[in-house]
Formats: sequence, structure tokens, C-alpha cells
Amino acid sequence: MVETAIDKESYVPVEADFRLKGKTADDFVDTNFASQNFWKEVVARFWRKKSAVIGLVFVIIISFFAFVGPVMNEYTYSGQNLDQKNLAPRIPIIEYTGFFDGHENIKTTSGTKTVNYYFEKHLPDTFYWFGSDNFGRDIWTRTWSGAQVSLIIAVAAAIIDMIIGMSYGLVSGYFGGKVDMVLQRILEIANGIPRLVIVTLLLLLFKPGMITIIIALMLTEWVGMSRIARAEMLKLKEQEFVLASRTLGAGNMHIIFSEVLPNIIGPIITQVMFSIPTAIFTEAFLSFVGLGIPVPRCSLGSLISEGFNSFTTHPYQIIPPIIVMALLMLSFNLVADGLREALDPKLKEM
Amino acid sequence: MKKKIISIVLASAFALSMIGCGSSAVSGVSEQNDTNAQEAGSTGSSESSGGDLRVMLETPVESLDPQQATDGTSFEVIADYTDGLMQMDADGQAVNALAESVDVSEDGLTYTFHIRKDANWSNGDPVTAADFVFAWQRAVDPEVASEYSYMLSDIGQIVNAQDIIDGKKDKSELGVKAVDDKTLEVKLNVSVSYFLSLMYFPTFYPVNQSFFESCKDTYATSPETTLSNGAFILDDYQPAATTIHLTKNPDYYGADSVKLEGLNYQVIQDSQQALMSYQNGDLDTTLVNGEQVDQVKDDPSYKAIGAGYLWYISPNVQAVKELQNVNIRYAITMALNREAITTDVLKDGSAPTYTAVPMDFAAGPDGSDFSADQEKFKDVCRFDAAAAVDYWNKGLAELGTKEITITMIHDADDAPIKVAQVVKEQLETTLPGLTVELQQMPKKERVQRMQEGDFELGLTRWGPDYADPMTYLGMWISKNANNYGLWSNSKYDEIINECTTGETAMDAKARWAALYDAEQIVMDEAVIFPLYTQCNAELISTNVSGIEFHPVALNRVYKNAEKK
Amino acid sequence: MKKYILKRVITAIFTLLAITLILFILMQLMPGSPFNDEKLNESQKAALYAKYGLDKPIVVQFFRYVTNMFKGDLGVSYKISKNTPITQLIASRLPISIGVGFAAVFIGAIVGLLLGLLAAFKRDTAWDTLATVISVIGVSVPSYVFALALSYQFGFKLDWFPMLFSAKDVIRSSVLPSISLSMFTMASIARFTRAEMIEVLGSDYMLLAESKGLSGNKLVFSHALRNALIPIITVLAPLVVDLMTGSLVVEKIFSIPGVGSLLVNAIQSNDYNVVIALSFIYSAMYIGIMLVVDILYGVIDPRIRVAKEAD
Repeated sequence: MVETAIDKESYVPVEADFRLKGKTADDFVDTNFASQNFWKEVVARFWRKKSAVIGLVFVIIISFFAFVGPVMNEYTYSGQNLDQKNLAPRIPIIEYTGFFDGHENIKTTSGTKTVNYYFEKHLPDTFYWFGSDNFGRDIWTRTWSGAQVSLIIAVAAAIIDMIIGMSYGLVSGYFGGKVDMVLQRILEIANGIPRLVIVTLLLLLFKPGMITIIIALMLTEWVGMSRIARAEMLKLKEQEFVLASRTLGAGNMHIIFSEVLPNIIGPIITQVMFSIPTAIFTEAFLSFVGLGIPVPRCSLGSLISEGFNSFTTHPYQIIPPIIVMALLMLSFNLVADGLREALDPKLKEM
Repeated sequence: MKKKIISIVLASAFALSMIGCGSSAVSGVSEQNDTNAQEAGSTGSSESSGGDLRVMLETPVESLDPQQATDGTSFEVIADYTDGLMQMDADGQAVNALAESVDVSEDGLTYTFHIRKDANWSNGDPVTAADFVFAWQRAVDPEVASEYSYMLSDIGQIVNAQDIIDGKKDKSELGVKAVDDKTLEVKLNVSVSYFLSLMYFPTFYPVNQSFFESCKDTYATSPETTLSNGAFILDDYQPAATTIHLTKNPDYYGADSVKLEGLNYQVIQDSQQALMSYQNGDLDTTLVNGEQVDQVKDDPSYKAIGAGYLWYISPNVQAVKELQNVNIRYAITMALNREAITTDVLKDGSAPTYTAVPMDFAAGPDGSDFSADQEKFKDVCRFDAAAAVDYWNKGLAELGTKEITITMIHDADDAPIKVAQVVKEQLETTLPGLTVELQQMPKKERVQRMQEGDFELGLTRWGPDYADPMTYLGMWISKNANNYGLWSNSKYDEIINECTTGETAMDAKARWAALYDAEQIVMDEAVIFPLYTQCNAELISTNVSGIEFHPVALNRVYKNAEKK
Repeated sequence: MKKYILKRVITAIFTLLAITLILFILMQLMPGSPFNDEKLNESQKAALYAKYGLDKPIVVQFFRYVTNMFKGDLGVSYKISKNTPITQLIASRLPISIGVGFAAVFIGAIVGLLLGLLAAFKRDTAWDTLATVISVIGVSVPSYVFALALSYQFGFKLDWFPMLFSAKDVIRSSVLPSISLSMFTMASIARFTRAEMIEVLGSDYMLLAESKGLSGNKLVFSHALRNALIPIITVLAPLVVDLMTGSLVVEKIFSIPGVGSLLVNAIQSNDYNVVIALSFIYSAMYIGIMLVVDILYGVIDPRIRVAKEAD
């Protein structure tokens, strides 16, 4: 395949070979119409898939709370109140049902006892909707501000990794031969070093913080993206429209980014959607090994690893971030699945 | 060809999945059997394993070579099966172990140890003075490059130790000599008041030369390559193992007083698993973290045990303009609510500390604790929000500013992360206009940055190496690598010098008083902001008694422990 | 074909050498030393560096390391287990990690395959959604939380399995860690199986087989599953490598003396030789498995073979 590509390039067309047809308005209408139709159809197909729509709704709801949730009560994500630490969830009105009324069962070595610290500490008007953590910080506020941080990190990492991985894969696949060989070896080396080693070193070299974590996540995720872009490029580069563009004298970069890219945007977007939950998850892992977002800021991952220490003592502290994280990952996956099927004409036939 | 290969791939895939199914089915069956067996076993074993003490370890052993080991876990295990010249009694005082008697010369420069006649290695060889000479020479040998070689040079002041470490003299010139098989003579540069208490430090433990040479490079990496002269014999160990087992040494000279049949160590890094294992009855003693203390604090088996570490904040008085102002430093140290940190956040029994030398590790000539009086420096170090604000405003006026932003670096470990967050919150709420930014990093990096002076505030800790206040006070002399703030005071340097190598070193009482003067200077200038002395919250099963805990050198000693 | 394989093997060796060199350079960038930075003075540090040859230029260290490596010597540990040859350190740990990893892949692959098949055959029904939800929940709860929950329920409360790994009872004490580890494989395989099966079921030859009058089990097993399995197996291979080194969290919780926790400890304590040796083993396994997969693909699919041979 690669050989033939080079053969074709070796013939340099001369001007006399062509007579350009004038650009007429018809052509534009035609292309515009076709592309619009395609996206319309994609949207329609997406809406038909219920699970994907549900996923999308959840993504929107969680994103909404991630930005609005932290300001819905008087607490801040870092404000400590050591007198009100480890209080169980308590929500006004609902508390009369017996749920979320601030009681918790504490397992001591001699048995289980039920306590309600709100009464023991005389706090009749204090409400922590999701409870408070071991510094007396509001878990509701922290959960949503953690979700916000996680979302920002994941989306940013996914977009950057899309740009880098995609360009890399497209270039590697398009040029083939020696270029491909070299680029693929580099990729193999990058992929061969355990991620933990790279990420740790990176976080040691740069000031810990959101940007460093984004870079670290990007570094570990771009390989998958570039593989997909390369595979798609290999499929498409021998097709007539690429050939046509080349014979018309288009530059390599023009062919890669203006001709091929729009045709593979489907799988790329799908991959981005899949890499967002992966990034959220990887960030959680980094938090667990102590390389996450610096305190007192929090992400879903750092909240889970903080709550983990109280898992057997105050289990309510770990539940909100886990549920939000699970929902977020589930809904992103559902959206990605729906998008993939909506974008892939072959799957459509089913 | 294609078809054939596919069928092979498929066949193997199915074969694999069959194995998978098969094994899961088998395990399903065996699981039931095993539960029965285990129930039977567990009731049986709780009676039969009565002799083994089952201990939880937080970290694996790094090295069982006494001259190479540097961490508490390794020291603890080494001391289980090796005796030194001295050992600690229950109160941490040095008492005779392998040494039957000690003669100290008038000038305090020569120590003569007489080794017990009945002390033997587990291969039958007697423990001789030559074993000590060999081991101590290893400790200072540049080729061995022991990390604790300074125990012999800087701290022990043994003749020629420093020159040997620096490669200027041969190791045979070390000031230690085997007068005869059972007599060891040690020569010191200056009188060292705490020299005997160094003798229980594992770096000073003996090594049997012929056995060592027969093991070559594998010394102390397996039960076969270790030799015991102590209460237990190592019989199950691998490098970095998660389980270690020792049995009672029947030939130990003090075997009659050793009541345990053996020791079984289990490394558990997750504290919740550790507690569950303890509650299940798989452990006799375990560490618990602060969050778990709520669950167990009423339990009779719960104990808070001093770990010796002083946690403190070191301000960079050299490089940071704002921190050069002593009023700002007073303001910060007085804005810290140490009680809240220990009772509300750490909860493990750690004690608030207001002195530069922590409590309960160094007893003076009259037997009293050096830092028993925590109110000694209350003029300059206490929790007092109002005074803190006064100092703060005074400091700000002197600096001609209204707002200060300070960065504090700390380790990315559980306790420092917690403490740093509370410190930030306390300082920011008490001192108007102050912003504290936290930067967490692995300990190695934090130490390096502090040693290079690349920090503003640093949350750090220091564990005592020997039972003398000097292990702390020696830190703040000019140009010491661990004097992170690069603070310098000639009067202070003079006192410390006088107490180590000068006249005062000979007179225990005068030295003690001088050390107080030195500490006063450190506190008056707020060179550090002490926070708390670390304690470990432990659960010790009520049928176990006699485990001895120490903040220095050997954290736990099991020789006199008993399990009923 | 032989020429192609030889060529690939040689490139793989060079890739591994490049990785080793990069690791050496990365180790230089790590702050701090493997030794006790706080309590050592400069001359002691210098002595320690000299003892282990760390004072030599990086190129000299690299060549010495590579030469020793060909002799089967991976150096000694500086910190985690002082002066222990790394080969000895790893020899006892690698089999445990591989064992737990393989068990996890088995469980994950089988459950994942079943879930995937279920989702593909009952596409767009409640079953499909359920399978997706199960597989996504499987990956979205971090493995350490899952591990602790399993340990609490089945180890502590019910006492069915030991909570901690024990060398005396390897099989039973590996059950909980293997299950906690298998979640990620399960989810990946379920998703992949579903996609592959849908593609295969929609392909022309399935249409042909169906129109020939084939139906039921025969159609599914001899035509559909068979063609879907090959790509699934190639996805499994790299997962095995990831599981062996990625198991550090689970290893920590169950006190398993494996290589994952060793790598984390080594990174945190700057134990250079251990980091390099473990990373090297990881890379070698990874590249080796990728090589086998590539070659297998070539054998299976003549189109790829022809293209690569021409290359």
C-alpha cells in the first residue's frame, strides 16, 4: 500500500494536464446541503437512542451542579469548623422522615451505637446536606466543587490530547514509510515506560496544580487517540477524494487537515467522549498515590481518597463523591456510545 | 493456513476459558470446605497459637544488616534477635545486656566493657569483643558507607571515627580494641555523657566476622544468613517481605525470662485492613489512625504511645523578608491552636508542644524530663489569638505592608496534609491580611528544597537519634544542613560547642543548664514554631502485657512481653 | 515472514535500549537521593554515591548498567531492601503479581465476554443498558474502594476469604484481590465484545450464512463469535501487562508482596535501580506482547502480512 502511494507521487502533473472548471455556486450549495443533512441525521439518530439522551441529561445536570452547587449554601469548600466535624447528613424537612436527620451508627469495639451529634453538640439549626468531613467542611460544597475541578481537568486533558494525538496519528499515517516508522517507534517508547513513572516525575518537576495534572493526563492518554487517527488515515488516504485533491496540487497539510480530518471527525469525537471518563478516573488514581490536586482544593478523586480513610468509620463521607463520579462516568460513556452509533453509518444499518 | 491458525487460537482460547471455569468451579467447592476447615482451624488455632505474638508493621524491613539499617522497623526486628552491649529498661534507661559490667575512666574518655561469658551466637560461637570491633569498623568503613556512621563519629566521638569515614585513616585505627575475648575497650575524643545509651542503638550491635564472611554479599537477606544472639531466632524472612516470623531462642542467656514462643510480623499498609484484622483476632497489636480512634477510644486495649517525633514549622528567616521580622514570627506561632490540631484533627494522642525539644525522651541528671515544663516559654510561644494579632499588626507596621502571602511546603503524606490544612485555616482566620498557600510534595523533594533554602515556611519533623536534648539543639547551629531557616546566632553556637566538646561537657548538671539557655535563645527568636510531639495510637490486646515502647532507637521491645 | 519477524525483534531491542536510556535520564531529574537526606552530611553522601557508582557521568552509568544487564545483573536496591540484588527481590514477587494478574484477567474476560454478548444480542433493550451500566459501574468505582468493600463484606463480616494475602494460602487469599482487579478488564472486554459482535452480526457473510438457512447456536458460535474473538484476544494482551504493574493499589490494601507496590515505593524513595529494573521489565513485557500480537495479526490476516513484507 505504501509503495503504490509513492509510485503515484512520482508522477508530477504538468499544467497542461488539467483544465480547471470554474467554481460555480451550485457546487457550494451541493456540499453545504450534503453536510448539513449528515449532521441533522446524526442528531436525529442520537435522539432516538434513549440511553444516550439520558446520559446527556445527567452530564448537563451534574455540570450544572458542579458550577452552581458550591454556592447553594453558606459553606465554602475550604472553610473549616473543627467543632462541627464528622456530622452525618442532615437535610431540612426530609429529616422528619428519619432519613438524613443527622444520626449515624458508630461501630465501636464493644458494639454499635447510634448517635446524633447535631443534638449532642446543640446545633438545632445547622444542616450539612451531605454531612461534614473530618475538618468540619461541608461535603455538599466539596463534592460539587470537586466535580467542577474533575470536569475541568478531564475536558481540558481530553481536548489537548485530542489535538496532539490526532495530529500525530494523522501525520504518521499520511506520510507512511520512514516517517511512520520513526513516529511509531517514538510512540512505542512513550507507551513502554510505565505511566506512573512519567506522571510522578512530571509532577515532581513542575509545581503541583491543575495545569500539571492536565499535562500529566494528556501525556498518558494521547497514544490511544493517535492510534485511532492513524488507522483512520490509513483507511482514507488511498480514497479518490484524497487522490483528487493531491492531483489538484494541494499541499500535504491541506490534505491532512482540510480533506481527511472532516471525514474522520466522528470516531475522533467518540474517542474524546470516551477519554473524558478515563481522565476523571486517572486523576482519582493520582490522588490516591498523593499526586493529585493540592489541598485544600479537591477533586472527585481526592475526595474519594480522603473519604476512604473514614470508610469504615463514617461511610457517608465517601458516598457522595463516589455516586457523582460513577454517574458522571456512566453518562459520558452512554453519550459516547450514542454518538458513536449516530456517527457511524455502518452501525446505522442495523 | 489461515483456517488452521484460527482454529488453534480458538481452541486455545476455549481451553483457557475452560480452565477458568474449571478453576472457579473448583474454588467454589473448596471455598465451602475451607470455610468449615477454617472455622475448625480458627477455634483450634486461637488456643494453639497462644505463644506467638502477632504484630502489625506499617512498612517492610529495609535491611537486617545492623550497620546498614536506618529505619525503625528494621531496628525493631534486628533487636528481636540481636543484643547489644546495653539494652533499654522499661523506662528507657540503659542497662546491661551483653555487657556484664562497664568501667569508665575518670576523665570519661575510656570505656571498658566486660562481655558476658554465657553469651553465644546461634551457631554456637561465643560472642566476643572481636565481634564488636569488626562491626564497628564496618560502621565507619567508607566502602560499607553506613548511613548511621555519624553515630560513631559526631555523636559517639570515638577516636579516629571521622578520619576513617573521610578516608584519611584505615579502619583498623578506630579507637576500639579487643583486649581479650571478653573485654572491649573504647576510646573517645571527649567525654560523652550519653555514651552508654548509644550502646542499645543497632549500629553498635556485634557481627560475627567468620559467619559474615561465609555469607559474602547475602548477609542478612534470609534466615540462613542471619545469626542470633538474642531472645529470638529469625526463621521466616525475605527481602522486603510482608510477613516475618521469629521463634524463641532456647540458648539465649536470658531465655528464662522470655515468655513468648515467637513473634509473627505482618506488614499492613492500609490502616482499615489492619483494624479489621485486629478485630477479627488475626493480630494482637496494631496501629490505628486518627479517624479510627473514635471507634476504639473507649476500648481498654487502646493506648497512645509516644513516638518521639517533634513536628514543627520552620520559617526561612534568611531569605524571606517578612519572616525576618520577629513580630511576624511571634504572631504566627501564637496564632497556632495546637490543642485543636491534636485533639480535633490528629486524635491519636499526640501532645501539643511549646518547646524546641519535645517531651518524654531525654531525662536529665536528676531523672526529670528535659521538656516536662511546657509553659517555660509561654511569653514567646503559646496560643493567644489576641496577642498574635497585636504582634501581627506591629510586624506589618514595621514592614510597611498590609497583606502578606506565604507559601508553606509539606509532605504529601496523610498527617502532614491534614495538619497543613488546619494550620492554613488557623493562620488565615486569626491574622488579617495573611494568605497561606500550601504546596505538597514527596518528602524527598521537601527535604531537598528546605536544605537548599528554597522555601518560605516548611512543615517538617525530627526524630531523636539518642536520648539527649542535643539531638535537637545541635540542629540549629550555624551552617548545619538541617538548620533550614539558616538562622545564625554566635552565642548559641558557643553554648552548643561548649556542651559538646568543651569544659561543660564533663559536668552533667552545668551542661543541662546550658542546654536550657540554648533552648531559650531558639524560642526567644522563634527560630521554629513547634507544633506537637507525635504519638501513635495503638491497640494492644488485653491478654498481652509487657511490650516496652520507646521514642528513641528501638520503638518496641518484646523481650519481656507476655501473652496469656 | 521470517525476515519481517527478525526485523521487528531487532527494532524491539533498540526500543528497549532507548527506554532504558530515557529512564536513566529521568532518574537524574528526580529531586533528592535514595539515602537519608535529612541526617547525612555531604561527605557521607559523597561516600554513598561513590560506593554505588552514582558519581559517574550518566553515560558511563548507562553502559555499565546495560553490560551488567546482559549478564543478568540488574544491580542492587539502595533503599527499599538495602543491597539486595534486584533479581532476588523481583524473583519472589513477579510470580505473585503475574498470578493475581492472570486470575483477574480470566475473571474479567469471562464475565466481560458474557456481558458483551448479552448486550450485543439484546441490543437496544433493557438488557443492553443493564450490561452497560454494570460494566461502567465496574470501572467507575475506584479499585481501592471496591477492594476495601469486598474485604469488609467477605473478609471481615462473612469471613469467607482471608483479608490479607498469605503465602501459605495463596489460592484463597488471592480471590478478593483478583476480583477487585478484574473490574477494569471486565468493562473493557464487555464493551469491545459488544462492538465487535454488532459489527460481525451486521456483516455480509453473516447475512449470507443466515440466508443459507443457518440459525441458532451454529450461526452464533461457528460464524459470529469466532470472528469476533480474534480482535478481543488482541485487546486482552496489553491488559495483562497493565494489570501486573497497575495493581499497586490493590496490592497495598491486601498486603500482597507484588511488583506494583514495589514500583511505587521505589519511585517515592528514589531507589533508582529498582525503578529502572521494574520499568524495564514492564516495557519488555509490553513490547513483547505487542510484537506477538502484531505477528499473530500478520499470520491471521494475509492482507497485513503482504503489506508489511513489502515494507
